[in-house]
Amino acid sequence: MEAPTADPLPLESVRVLEIGGGISAAFAARWLAGFGADVVRIDPEPEMLTPDEAVYLLPGKRRVRGASAGDLLTLARAADIIIDDGPPGALAARGLDPARLRAGRPELVIVSITPYGQDGPYAPFPATNITAFAMGGIMSLTGMHQREPLVTGGSQALYLGGLDAAGAAITAYLGALLHGEGDWVDISLQESMAGMLELYGPRGAYEGAVSIRSGNHVRAVWGLYPCADGYAGVCALERQVPALFALLGDPELEEPRFRDPLERPNHDDELQAKLYAWFGERTKAELLELGVRHRVPIGAVVTPLELLENPSLRERGFFDAVETPAGTALVPGRPFLGLPWRPGRLSEPVPAADILAAWSTRP
Amino acid sequence: MKRLPLEGIRIADLTMMWAGPYATRILAEMGAEVIKIESPRAWDNIRTLIPQPGVDEPWNSSYYFNDYNRDKKSLTLDLAHPLGRETFLQLVPHCDVVIENYRADVLDNLRLGYGVLREARPDIILVSMAGYGKTGPERRHVGFGPIIEQMSGLASMTGYGDDGVPFKTGISYGDPVAGKAAAAAVALALVQRRRTGRGCFIDLAQREVLSSLIGEAFAAASLRGETPVHRGNRDPRAFAQGVYRCAGDEQWLAITLRTREEWERAAALLGIDPALPGGPSDHDVIDARLAEALAGRDPQEAFELLARAGIPAGRVLDTVAIHDDPHLAARRFWVQLPHPRMHPWKQPRTAWRLREADPWPRRHAPLFGEHNSEILRGLLGLDDDRIEELRREGVIGDAPVNPGVG
Repeated sequence: MEAPTADPLPLESVRVLEIGGGISAAFAARWLAGFGADVVRIDPEPEMLTPDEAVYLLPGKRRVRGASAGDLLTLARAADIIIDDGPPGALAARGLDPARLRAGRPELVIVSITPYGQDGPYAPFPATNITAFAMGGIMSLTGMHQREPLVTGGSQALYLGGLDAAGAAITAYLGALLHGEGDWVDISLQESMAGMLELYGPRGAYEGAVSIRSGNHVRAVWGLYPCADGYAGVCALERQVPALFALLGDPELEEPRFRDPLERPNHDDELQAKLYAWFGERTKAELLELGVRHRVPIGAVVTPLELLENPSLRERGFFDAVETPAGTALVPGRPFLGLPWRPGRLSEPVPAADILAAWSTRP
Repeated sequence: MKRLPLEGIRIADLTMMWAGPYATRILAEMGAEVIKIESPRAWDNIRTLIPQPGVDEPWNSSYYFNDYNRDKKSLTLDLAHPLGRETFLQLVPHCDVVIENYRADVLDNLRLGYGVLREARPDIILVSMAGYGKTGPERRHVGFGPIIEQMSGLASMTGYGDDGVPFKTGISYGDPVAGKAAAAAVALALVQRRRTGRGCFIDLAQREVLSSLIGEAFAAASLRGETPVHRGNRDPRAFAQGVYRCAGDEQWLAITLRTREEWERAAALLGIDPALPGGPSDHDVIDARLAEALAGRDPQEAFELLARAGIPAGRVLDTVAIHDDPHLAARRFWVQLPHPRMHPWKQPRTAWRLREADPWPRRHAPLFGEHNSEILRGLLGLDDDRIEELRREGVIGDAPVNPGVG
């Protein structure tokens, strides 16, 4: 690794105002804070994050409680980037109309994250993680066909909005550096997901054919199986299928009905049965080792608790330690290596006046 | 017209399949010039992953490939051939960014690692997006698609709850998530270069990005030793939550009743009894009544009925219905681009909707090698003899060698 070590944090002295209080804005601003931005979060009252979410999403930020409308406007006018996940119109209702703020300061970047975007017939509709996930299309593909569609774990719709907001905020800020003008970015959770439907999105659009959720097995060679100590999976492309079959060592797999990629789907149940048996006899560690040795894409279902001990993540310094009243938490830190990152501390809310003084002048 | 943020930025794109091309699709829509580089012998497999029988030039006629590679230019170069490598190193000085998602050792095996690229252009930005990163004991694991989801911790959090089975998300979820993060990394590296004058080497592990989307589960694990509990479609923070079948084929509605008051309002709207026995079975009672009330209802009407009343609801839009959604149509989210081999279809715009610069997909995905001449002759100034030599040696081409099923 030849990443320079003496470099400043990439977003050092960039002022970010986080408003709204949800996971989406907090996650986007968390990355900006880690890469050096001076993030001030307007705490919602009551707090919207769970204690565990707060431990992950709030380190490295200064928090303000009880800011007046005048304080907010002063902060907004001093910010380089504003990230908001309140409903459409909420910013304007707090005296922070994006168009008006931008008119005064063309370099300002505002990123709004909402379930459906700023306009269109659904714009006023409320949403939660699961209803947003449903409207984004991924849920129709997730879960068993015999049962109801299943939401993916955690708060994926909200995090995806935050991920898109972080990328768009940095990109629009770069645009301001290069061309002198920021923008108002309109992130819709629905659009965040509707544009990532793998082959199923374009298939639906091009062929008019609905793809139905297929549980843990898109195909036998692309699925998740119980193994001796949990669950493990294989995702073999056509060019990797011979190596997978060699691992299984079953002479029947030499027959054309399994070898021929166009024939194989007609015998998928039979092939699945063989894979169930093969996986069932092996542990996750054995399967991962076989995968790497024979270049077959094999994975294992691991929990966050197991990942805390993962040697790769440890060696690569993935986790940030965060001191909390309940002890030291380990949470995901820098999303990638190569640019300086600053793990942050949790802090108590401060009066707006403390920030106003610091933000009243440019460093 | 307002300029797009990445206007003037040129990217050499060595990525294939989905994660990398998803990143560069975003970057192209943000204004960058993206040159997609494939070898005639080792081309982007996604071109033929979904076999389309009876199609001329199947490698140019795949909706899967074309959806994720629009707005890019296509240059063929066999990097494993000395002339291909040499030509690539002639291209690098014209580029701000090189991005790749090969297995961790491949770029170095091609003798095109960061050190080599930096000799060609000192402030080059290299973004690598291997499954597990460039370092660490797992770097040689083949990681893509749902494998990343399993190894990130996310799959352990998804499940119906009554059978103990973890579930994969219905798409190769780790890919676009890594792609969005890689696009962000490119922008951040460009900010840094603007400030310091220096490039950098971004080592992005797809697994780590996905783990970043479940951070609170790591807090729970490290503070209290917790392992994930499968809750199906329920959420303990809500009064009640679930997914209910509506009229039609596989039509479902997700509903969150955040409070008892929302339940009572939903019950009134749907004409069902709001009285509950009181106790742990209340949620089951609510589920049964909602299921019965919604079974014969049109999903769009039920969605709008509840949502207009301020109750969070969302159709489980399927992969056809989502393209007919009136809201996305009003938002001009889908675009149709003419393509020389295919009939137009609705393609998604980027979610990074800059309201003023208004990024818009401009052009269909390139045909294989379509921009060879433009780049080799126009940008690099190679003469006809040299280009003919590259062709003769198989370093460039107009069609993949031996295209089969991906």
